[in-house]
Amino acid sequence: MSDSKEYKLDPQKWVERYGDYLFSYALGRVNDSGKAEDLVQETFLAALKARERFRGGSTERTWLISILKRKIIDTYRKKYSSKESAFGSHEETVFDGDFYRSEEPFSGHWLEGRGPNSHSILPEGELEQEELVKYINLCIENLPAPLAAAFIMRMIDEEDSDTICKELSITPSNLWVMLHRARLRMRECLEKKWLS
Amino acid sequence: MKIFMSKRMIACDEASFLISLREDRKLNFRKWWQLKMHLLTCHLCRKYAKQIGELKYSMEVYRDGCSHDSCSHKLSPEAGSRIDKKLKRDLNAK
Repeated sequence: MSDSKEYKLDPQKWVERYGDYLFSYALGRVNDSGKAEDLVQETFLAALKARERFRGGSTERTWLISILKRKIIDTYRKKYSSKESAFGSHEETVFDGDFYRSEEPFSGHWLEGRGPNSHSILPEGELEQEELVKYINLCIENLPAPLAAAFIMRMIDEEDSDTICKELSITPSNLWVMLHRARLRMRECLEKKWLS
Repeated sequence: MKIFMSKRMIACDEASFLISLREDRKLNFRKWWQLKMHLLTCHLCRKYAKQIGELKYSMEVYRDGCSHDSCSHKLSPEAGSRIDKKLKRDLNAK
């Protein structure tokens, strides 16, 4: 009746076909190869358990990635929930005392050295992709954990804001402030890296 | 219809927040105007706006660069076979 292709699962070939891809995807987000390996294994095992529920509407690869994505978000939640301040406690005020003057005169202005210095945060000449990837990974690693989660989901996964807010249990206002704070730090980190 | 132009000038903290915000959502007229006014006279925030654009570009390069082989990482053979064994064991146990 339907002309659409129905995909089938083939667990025997999963590691061979998708192991590297899932690993690379996970590594880009958790920055730790041991954790990335664990996530890949957990994903395959969870997919195995859930294979009866696979409806064939998407490719194996898409389906496996969606399971991996959920597990990655779970690691964010676990890491950042109880001990540190939870996601939602990022106040809805814009002001970040690390970057701006809090006192008069000129309150709200950039603090010395925390604002832009050079004209560009990109290197001169050809953009070396490998170097850029390395520096971005380093800078993301330096982000406080909740900011990293929001930044990764928005800038790498390109999730829309409703999805991010739902997954991280935050309000849109929390999200805008978190992205702003992440960008403040990423910009500064990259500027410093290319200058040195 | 009287259009009230906000006379309140914003400082760099709010301006840089708006620069970030407009990446993700359209600014209403008031915010757009306040930012525009601030950028007219603040060279630091003009630089900041440029650099946030560069950050966005960098992330695009990061994303696209990592979707093909030259930048992707591979599972170590040890990890690959370990995971494969576990998977096949569970598969055959069902």
